[in-house]
Amino acid sequence: MATQRAIRPPIFGKKQVFLPNFVLTLLRTPSSPPNFATFLVPLSLNKLDLRDYLFHAYGIRVHGVRSYIQMKKITQDKPGSKRPKPRKWFRPKSIKKMMVEMERPFVWPEEPKEFDSWDKSTFDAANKDRTQHEEMFRPDFREKPTGERASMAEQAKALLQGKESWRSTPKENEWDINGEEVEVETDVELPKTGP
Amino acid sequence: MSTSIAMRPVARRLLKPTRAQHIPPAFLLPSLLAPIQQKSSFSSTTFNLYPRDNNRERGVSTARRTGLRQPLSVSKTPLPKPVLDPSKRSRVEVDEDHGLWDFFHSKEKPMNTPEEDFEHGRPWCVEELRGKSWEDLHALWWICCKERNRIATEAFERKRLEAGYGDSESERRDITVRRTQRAIKQVLTERYYSWQDAEAIAKNDPEVDLSGEGPPYNPTDFVEKYVPEEEVSLESGVKPEQDIPLDPEVKPEQKYSPTL
Repeated sequence: MATQRAIRPPIFGKKQVFLPNFVLTLLRTPSSPPNFATFLVPLSLNKLDLRDYLFHAYGIRVHGVRSYIQMKKITQDKPGSKRPKPRKWFRPKSIKKMMVEMERPFVWPEEPKEFDSWDKSTFDAANKDRTQHEEMFRPDFREKPTGERASMAEQAKALLQGKESWRSTPKENEWDINGEEVEVETDVELPKTGP
Repeated sequence: MSTSIAMRPVARRLLKPTRAQHIPPAFLLPSLLAPIQQKSSFSSTTFNLYPRDNNRERGVSTARRTGLRQPLSVSKTPLPKPVLDPSKRSRVEVDEDHGLWDFFHSKEKPMNTPEEDFEHGRPWCVEELRGKSWEDLHALWWICCKERNRIATEAFERKRLEAGYGDSESERRDITVRRTQRAIKQVLTERYYSWQDAEAIAKNDPEVDLSGEGPPYNPTDFVEKYVPEEEVSLESGVKPEQDIPLDPEVKPEQKYSPTL
């Protein structure tokens, strides 16, 4: 009896869809058991559609589907705007996720150890530079502390602890040249002028 | 009212003149009266404390973690402890033919490198697809669908891992797939329009029978040219180029699509 129930084909709808035009995104969910898989689906898809699609396109038998719609956080201005305008709010479209319980377990391939093929070091450096540049155009840039504040605080602390003494004038002979004159930047070729 | 009956003999004694000298003082009057029995209980709660409401599970609570009243047969077996560290868990064997492998380009790593994503050709163009059957076009559409799922999954994973570059390569790949899909749709649309035109012509054509009973194509004005066999053998040596009968009409394929 139990075997008969196991091999019974699942019941699907009658309407045939020949040219489906949507994209499923499989998500990595290490916290859920291996027989569960989570997908990012379009908002128009329902549980029955997903079950049907996974069976007919991928041959995955699904015991149950759980679905939820997740509202996105409100952001200032549209995403990707270089200088986000103040008091202009934008809420991105909600996303829909569906978690299916499968007959057979599945585990994602392991994460790569190093990302040299993706040139991660250059990518990170460029990202950091870009965020720093974008922060300059934010409306609250002037109110935020600059990078010099930390060094000024450090100097003041040293003064207060007596590690350094205050001088209003430079040290004696501080700017005097001691010893031989040394030519710097010897590798620079200066253009020859004159005859 | 109940006290009046009890009080009567005492009051009579007190009121007798002969024993006036034995009259107790007035402040002892309440003690001489019979003790008053309380008829109704002070509290409305019933007195039978056990078994109260005949509830077997009285006092057993999951919220207070009391446990059961009696030990069970499994009480001696210790409970398994969950393995909280994911690295210590046993590895799950994934079947080689699991359907979810189709969401990845390879089984070794979760996403393609930009070089691998870049290695693709041009999209199928409309001219190439015009000669394909519906079965071929349908199969190609589904291949495109699965490829798009693959690209979306790997792009999401790349973004999540902050792996680095590769967005533009996967975007180009996706555009290539979408152009193929667009070409498929264009071919199918063209086919549908030509079928519509053919149906409109066939409605007024006496040679074509759209009722579905009998042969759909009945040529009327075409009579096959009768050529005697001896003439063929004689003339074949002399003028072969004239004898070759021009194909009267290329008979169209008998396949016809059913009415919508």
